[in-house]
Amino acid sequence: MIKERVAYILICMALIITAIFALMLGTQDFSVVQLWQALMGERPEILSTVLNFRLPRILAAMVAGGMLASAGAISQAVFRNRLADPTILGVTSAGELFMLIGGMLLPVFSFQKQLFALMGGLFAFALLANRKTLRQPYQLIIVGVALNLTFMALTQLFTKGINVGTSLGFNGITWSSVYVLLINGFVGLVAVLLMAPWANDLKLPDEQLSSVGVPVTAMRLGLLALVVYLSADVTADVGTIPFIGIIVPNVARYFVGHDYQTILPFSMLSGAWLLLMVDTIGRIVILPSEISAATIMAIIGGPFLIILVQRGGFHGIKTR
Amino acid sequence: MELKHVNYGYPVSEKLIKDFTATVPNGKILSIIGQNGAGKSTLLKLLMGSVSPDTGTVELDGQLIETLSKRQRAAKIALVTQQHQVYDEMTVKEVVKTGRLPFHSLLATISDDEVRPFLRIVDLAAAMNRPLSSLSGGQQQRVWLAAALAQEPQYLFLDEPTTYLDIRYQNELMALIQKLNAEQQLTVVMILHDINQALKVSDQIWLVKSGQLVKAGPADEILNEQLLSNAFELPVKIVNIEKYGPYVIQLTAS
Repeated sequence: MIKERVAYILICMALIITAIFALMLGTQDFSVVQLWQALMGERPEILSTVLNFRLPRILAAMVAGGMLASAGAISQAVFRNRLADPTILGVTSAGELFMLIGGMLLPVFSFQKQLFALMGGLFAFALLANRKTLRQPYQLIIVGVALNLTFMALTQLFTKGINVGTSLGFNGITWSSVYVLLINGFVGLVAVLLMAPWANDLKLPDEQLSSVGVPVTAMRLGLLALVVYLSADVTADVGTIPFIGIIVPNVARYFVGHDYQTILPFSMLSGAWLLLMVDTIGRIVILPSEISAATIMAIIGGPFLIILVQRGGFHGIKTR
Repeated sequence: MELKHVNYGYPVSEKLIKDFTATVPNGKILSIIGQNGAGKSTLLKLLMGSVSPDTGTVELDGQLIETLSKRQRAAKIALVTQQHQVYDEMTVKEVVKTGRLPFHSLLATISDDEVRPFLRIVDLAAAMNRPLSSLSGGQQQRVWLAAALAQEPQYLFLDEPTTYLDIRYQNELMALIQKLNAEQQLTVVMILHDINQALKVSDQIWLVKSGQLVKAGPADEILNEQLLSNAFELPVKIVNIEKYGPYVIQLTAS
């Protein structure tokens, strides 16, 4: 319990400190004093930069990080597999492919990207939802990786030579593009907190759950729908950002234990912190250019995954 | 609880349960014994309503079991199996909380206080916050028993509850079940492999062979060398041990 509390306090502090640094640093660095003066209305030009450019980007990174981390944790609970993350299972790359196809075939309409990303995610899950695949943890991951590569290859095939590539990422994100993500993120994260007990229930075998009167299938489908909603929204607004859904929940388990009612809120905070940190570093490290958060995550995520599997942190238990 | 002319079987294979008619005595301990594949587990599933008979009826307090919802059934019948698989680390209290699910809305958070009394019954209240995997096999089985009791059932079903336990834990668990039966008027239905264990603790025994009821009755009616030899297809002998009563021993050629 004490370890848990310390972990929560530390992550909240880290989040606040990182957010302050993210407000200060950029093409033009501001000091804390300057920020304070801006807030007091004495430096309107600083206030304008911070409010219009840095704040929306910081909020977007935090919300997206929280969404990706909790989508990963829930997906792991549903598949009973510590590696089952939407970015590994092909859910997000299917979303990107569908967005691309939708963009090519149909005229632009509002929430088009979100809708197609959602359809793509559901499509990927439909392909994964195979009795045999669900029972074999390694098979699930291998099929997921194969789907992921296929969707990515198709996306490349369609984009090569055709100039429809949607520029995604946090770069140049403004209030008008961030509000959809913020609203969807808020709704999604509240749903995550409400549905957290279900993730715990799914630690039991279906037969046992059935005998205590729980509608297991409905529960599982509800949680999967939430996973698709969360990851599709992020994909539609900022593209695929890999590994957050694996790294964060697994580190969270190490710090706060195995109760999803603690893992999920902690994952939200840690995911928010991680993505904000990564995005801020990417934003300032090679000024005036920048490295995308997705690239940095891919670079640190790969080795982390290898360590996780090799150290035996992968408790994908074979189901009957 | 009553089974009337129940037939059940997969459409392709031979029937698993054939014209089975029997009554579960209220407030008593009933054991089902028989060879592997005799249909014992299927009988338990039929009684729980997790499968429905092809023909015939299963009634619970005068109602057809299939007319009750999953939740209603869960509030009346609780199941403890031989080995429970868990897909992730769970604490003792988390396991017992799952037994309270029939009484709450799906999104509810269940408090620790709500499950403490059930852990007290099995003498594990102190271990509440410990991970399940840190307990011994016997203690783990008691945790699952507490989860079943948390359902506040009328009927407690146990499917070979002692299989993975050593002799001392087996006796401990049986004593606990007898105590629960006596103190809470809980109707107990269990499948047991150990004939002697079944004979010692049960008020009533169903002897089952190839999906049919061979004999239902109290222990002294089942204690018949001919009857048991036929049902288990193995020669058996009944010996009387002073102060301990009759024991069934299986005879194997040496």
